[in-house]
Amino acid sequence: MEKAEIRSIYMLSGFLVGAFSLPFVVGVMTGYVIFDLRWLYDLITIILSGLMQGGVYAMFAVGLTLIFGVMRIINVAHGELVMLGAYLTWVLFNAPGFFGINVYVDPLLTMVITLPVVFVFGLTVQKLLLNAVVGGPELTPLLITFGLGISLINIVEWIFTTDYHTVAYAPHSVQLTDQIQISANKVISFAMAFVISMGVYMFLKLHRLGKAIRATAQNADVAMVCGIDIKRIYVITFALGASLAAAGGVLVSIQFAFNPETGLEYTIVAFAIIILGGRGNYIGALLGALMLGVLENLVSFMVPNGTAMVEIAAYALMIFVLLIRPRGLMGMKEG
Amino acid sequence: MSRRETVNHLMMMVIAFLLLLMLPEYLNVYHRSFVMFTMMYVVLASSWNIISGFTGYVSFGHVLFYGVGSYASAILVADHGWHWLATLPISMMVGLAFAIVIGFPVLRLKGPYFAIATLAASEGTRVLVTVWDDLTHGGLGISLPNVENSMETYYAMLVLMFVTIGTCYWVAHSRFGVRLNAIREDEVAAEGLGINTTLYKMTAFGLSAIFPAMAGAIQANKTLYIDPETEFFVLVTITMKLMAMFGGKGTVIGPIIGAVVLYSIQEYVWVTFPHAHLIAFGVFLILVARFMPRGLVGHAIDQGWWRKGMVH
Amino acid sequence: MDSQSVQAAGDAVALEVRDLHKGFGGIKAVDGCNLKIPAGQISGLIGPNGSGKTTTFNLLTGVIRPDSGEVYFKGENIAGLKPYQIFRRGITRTFQITRIYREMTVFENMLSVSYLLTPMQDARERAERLMEFVTLSKLRDEYGGNLSYGQQKLLEFARALMTDPELILLDEPAAGVNRTLLADLLDRIHELQAVGKTIVVVEHDMNVIMNHCEKIFVMDYGVNIAEGLPHEIQNNEQVIEAYFGRRKDGAVRAS
Repeated sequence: MEKAEIRSIYMLSGFLVGAFSLPFVVGVMTGYVIFDLRWLYDLITIILSGLMQGGVYAMFAVGLTLIFGVMRIINVAHGELVMLGAYLTWVLFNAPGFFGINVYVDPLLTMVITLPVVFVFGLTVQKLLLNAVVGGPELTPLLITFGLGISLINIVEWIFTTDYHTVAYAPHSVQLTDQIQISANKVISFAMAFVISMGVYMFLKLHRLGKAIRATAQNADVAMVCGIDIKRIYVITFALGASLAAAGGVLVSIQFAFNPETGLEYTIVAFAIIILGGRGNYIGALLGALMLGVLENLVSFMVPNGTAMVEIAAYALMIFVLLIRPRGLMGMKEG
Repeated sequence: MSRRETVNHLMMMVIAFLLLLMLPEYLNVYHRSFVMFTMMYVVLASSWNIISGFTGYVSFGHVLFYGVGSYASAILVADHGWHWLATLPISMMVGLAFAIVIGFPVLRLKGPYFAIATLAASEGTRVLVTVWDDLTHGGLGISLPNVENSMETYYAMLVLMFVTIGTCYWVAHSRFGVRLNAIREDEVAAEGLGINTTLYKMTAFGLSAIFPAMAGAIQANKTLYIDPETEFFVLVTITMKLMAMFGGKGTVIGPIIGAVVLYSIQEYVWVTFPHAHLIAFGVFLILVARFMPRGLVGHAIDQGWWRKGMVH
Repeated sequence: MDSQSVQAAGDAVALEVRDLHKGFGGIKAVDGCNLKIPAGQISGLIGPNGSGKTTTFNLLTGVIRPDSGEVYFKGENIAGLKPYQIFRRGITRTFQITRIYREMTVFENMLSVSYLLTPMQDARERAERLMEFVTLSKLRDEYGGNLSYGQQKLLEFARALMTDPELILLDEPAAGVNRTLLADLLDRIHELQAVGKTIVVVEHDMNVIMNHCEKIFVMDYGVNIAEGLPHEIQNNEQVIEAYFGRRKDGAVRAS
């Protein structure tokens, strides 16, 4: 490996170690953190929680990385697709209520409707708007998806107002040990996320269509020559990425409150993850998601004003990685 | 650019200046405000154009400079009793400082990554401003002392607008501008042909920052209340972008046309349908990016109605 | 012995490369390259694929930094300087695949290159003269992107001459160009040489090299293995071996 290459790996690792230690340092320095046994258990809970959250983040990151890997498109509207998933879940969850029936639909079950709906939406967007600009200046799809995101936010706001909503589901806690407990919805979300991301991984690895997608990601021209209809692949990839985002949205809806604007921060989170993990790299996205989940939880737990600082943590992480080692942990060298 | 054309343009600018100078006497406060904000958007769109249109580094976080400029001024006026005019040079320097500090790392990134990094910087600053409430009063915002300065802020914005347009005009017709274009077209070639790209990019970025900073300061003193949500609102960057792109990125007159047309439409639509306006913006951005990326002026050039050259 | 005394002794040397090294990870792309480019002549730099000539070219033009070694130009070590700094010292280069500015007119392409201290009027005049030199004056107001590939090559060539450089490095000028245009280009190159410019051409096209270069440098495996006049190089065993390899019995293969 080239000298510069090794150096950048060291710098990135060093930076990550520093980033993870920083919350501890700040916490101790500001007196926000007191070391005792109780705290240790809290810490473990936080880390576990972070991993769970990372699982959900993985849903959005993986979709975004697919879209980028295959089409070099940076989908700024990705967070809005997540938000869309959350809102669809909420609507379906409360649907019987609209008819006066006092029953709630299991959110996980609603995925049966939500995911295909978003899938079709994704197909349409790619076909109408984006297919024509793949391969051109990279900025054009960026602007188009940006416009799409803004439109989505405001359409949802128009219909649902800016109020926060939640989907109350499995909020009870699961007792892992005497002192450590986690809410059931987090565990379920993680399990779902795991199943889905492994499923997609298998799909990409083994199924014919999945292989076609990977081929197109590696070299679209060669794929075309091999008889793959790359326009069709683009459309399917975007739709797949969109449904993965929506799946993430479903899982988000059962854990956190959301409103039309929460999509924006998830977009940034997704970007930070794929840049950390390596744009276009599936496993990198999963790793990056877990890491960011844990980091965010550490920050929010140990730093004063933690919840606001969490956003800054994601931004800072992204910018630093772009400067130290732009291809992230596992990305391919570009150009 | 012949002598004659330059003189013509200069005359047009002087006439426009005089007209706008006399205008506020005949307008009520609401209309005066409208004209003032139109002029402000001309400043914003034209400034954005310097780094994004001419130099090709498309910034998604430009509202950052506007925000820090407005905050610098507001803090000095509200907490330290400065006269608002005196805060303008300070706002300008604050904007410049941010441009240098942020530009240094971020201008190394290419295309979309630069865009995202600037967005991250802008959002990050917003959060920072919200959190650092000792200095900035955080989410509560800053209320400035109530002063009747509708006329003064109008004149200040007028002067700022002409300074901005003048600068853009100079950039577009100077070798500095040609070199910025060269960087946009092919940075590797430009570097190989003697252009110190780092210096030029930083200069362009700095230039594009100082005018929005001052515009923010003037705006803060006009509306007399600022908070992080409004001053660092992502939509402002989008508006700047849309205006410049719609009019014609990389030209002088493009952002001006874009700002005037779009701000007028925005005011009319917003008054009638509050939500539709934002949705329309999103849709409009999609349409312009997809079908008319060179903007009105670019389109006119392609059709042969306008002279070629010095344009994106 | 420093470069100034070298220059004083006999043939003037425009560019002296001393013990240049550049490695990428485990591979030494340039492993001790020494060149003395004669002033006022057209020199060729050739070598089979992987010989390090492209890397050397990039080292000379500042695109990459050497690990060690020096490059002397007009008494100064320019190794490791950035491209724009090298350009300002009087060395210019063209690119293998043209890098003209597509959305600027031909005239603007020319005008983008000139010292900021040169009065605009002088720059304009020079641009006009150079466009005439390469017979592109008619296309003055055409967008660079609308030119044919050959015209782009000419534009790039003319653009590189705007600051009247002393040393001109050409990166595969014959690549992708038809015979007529190539002849045109070569005529211009000879005209430049006639007024005292030093020109170095990196090329694969042997016709161009053998028929137009006065001195040829051959590289292989990151070092220069031979230098001399065209006919000397053609008959040099090491060169032939580098390009064509040895037969199993150890004899050098004829083509």
